[in-house]
Amino acid sequence: MQVAQSEQNVEAWLPIAVSNWTHKPEPGKIDAMYELTHYPLREGLIEAHEKVWESIARPGPFWTGAERIAMVAESRAATSCLLCAKRRQALSPYAVDGVHDSETDLDAVIIDMIHRIRSDPARLTRNMFDQVMSAGITPEQYIEVVGVVNASVIVDTLHAALGLPLAELPTPQPGAPTGQPPANVTEEGAWVPIAVGNERPGIINGLSNNREPNIARSMGLVPSAVELFFTAFRPHYALQNIPLELKQSQAEFIASRVSALNQCFY
Amino acid sequence: MLLRASGQPDQKDYDLNSVTDDHADSGVDFGHWLRSLTEATIQNRWDDLAPIRDQADVAMGTQSMVDTLVVASGFNGITRVADATGIPLDENTQQMTIDMRESTGIERFNYAEKSDRYDLITT
Repeated sequence: MQVAQSEQNVEAWLPIAVSNWTHKPEPGKIDAMYELTHYPLREGLIEAHEKVWESIARPGPFWTGAERIAMVAESRAATSCLLCAKRRQALSPYAVDGVHDSETDLDAVIIDMIHRIRSDPARLTRNMFDQVMSAGITPEQYIEVVGVVNASVIVDTLHAALGLPLAELPTPQPGAPTGQPPANVTEEGAWVPIAVGNERPGIINGLSNNREPNIARSMGLVPSAVELFFTAFRPHYALQNIPLELKQSQAEFIASRVSALNQCFY
Repeated sequence: MLLRASGQPDQKDYDLNSVTDDHADSGVDFGHWLRSLTEATIQNRWDDLAPIRDQADVAMGTQSMVDTLVVASGFNGITRVADATGIPLDENTQQMTIDMRESTGIERFNYAEKSDRYDLITT
């Protein structure tokens, strides 16, 4: 992903909650995250990550809470999966057949999708997406998986980067998938229909004139996936006046370097 | 991209090739530590990252070191969202970055070219 040059009012995008530095988990919530670290983390970030964990454990519009937790487990399994390692070494990921080192009973096509997103994002292609669709998975189901997996990638990456054990997976909440009303989406050249834009001020941003960046519109088929993912992401970046102990140029260099390492075109 | 734009307030001209060139100096403050922390994180080199954290802590300060990891981990997620949905560049970005994408090699990351390279086995 290149960091997109957005339009006016970009400061409204991805605001970061900066408050005090003392984190006190609320009773009844999941185990406090990051309590073992001696590094300074902002309370807003910790609360956001805890909220993400709680949200993943609840049924989503197209998957149960147990299935969503299983997606996170599979994402973690991908980091030590032998098949994924062999595929990364091959000229094409399709050159190596085999079975993933899996830890769940998710459908094989979903397991493969998750392992590829987690272990080899640079080589995700339209072909992979088409294979998932041809297996009977709907675009909405696909997007919900993308949201859950990548929200968890953010949480897991920060834990590991700080030298912490990964957060314990939450207990899945019972219940069937909730369903959702039809989303307001449009075809604009992505693999999936994306949000029309500026439909959810306050959730993603408040940009006017239908000019939300495409990354903010990309999961528009499943609005709850947008909310989940950006709850995790917001404390990590802002397009302007970044309220971190970094200059904006430093943040852009980090972001650009990650994009290059993951071979992200956007 | 915003790395170039972010240099304008400081009247600095950052080397965009540093994004894809492992050896180019970006010109960004503490660029060496930003690069080392980011690369170890994204490449899951956790054993390497521990001493880098300690050294960067001394060199650039604890909060800046931690915030480098915060930004890197966020983008480790959001790049995957972009790559898993195949979204096109925003229109203005598309127009503004043509030369830059060519000169830095980023153009080779576009999804059509990736499909040509990596889907060959199945065609």
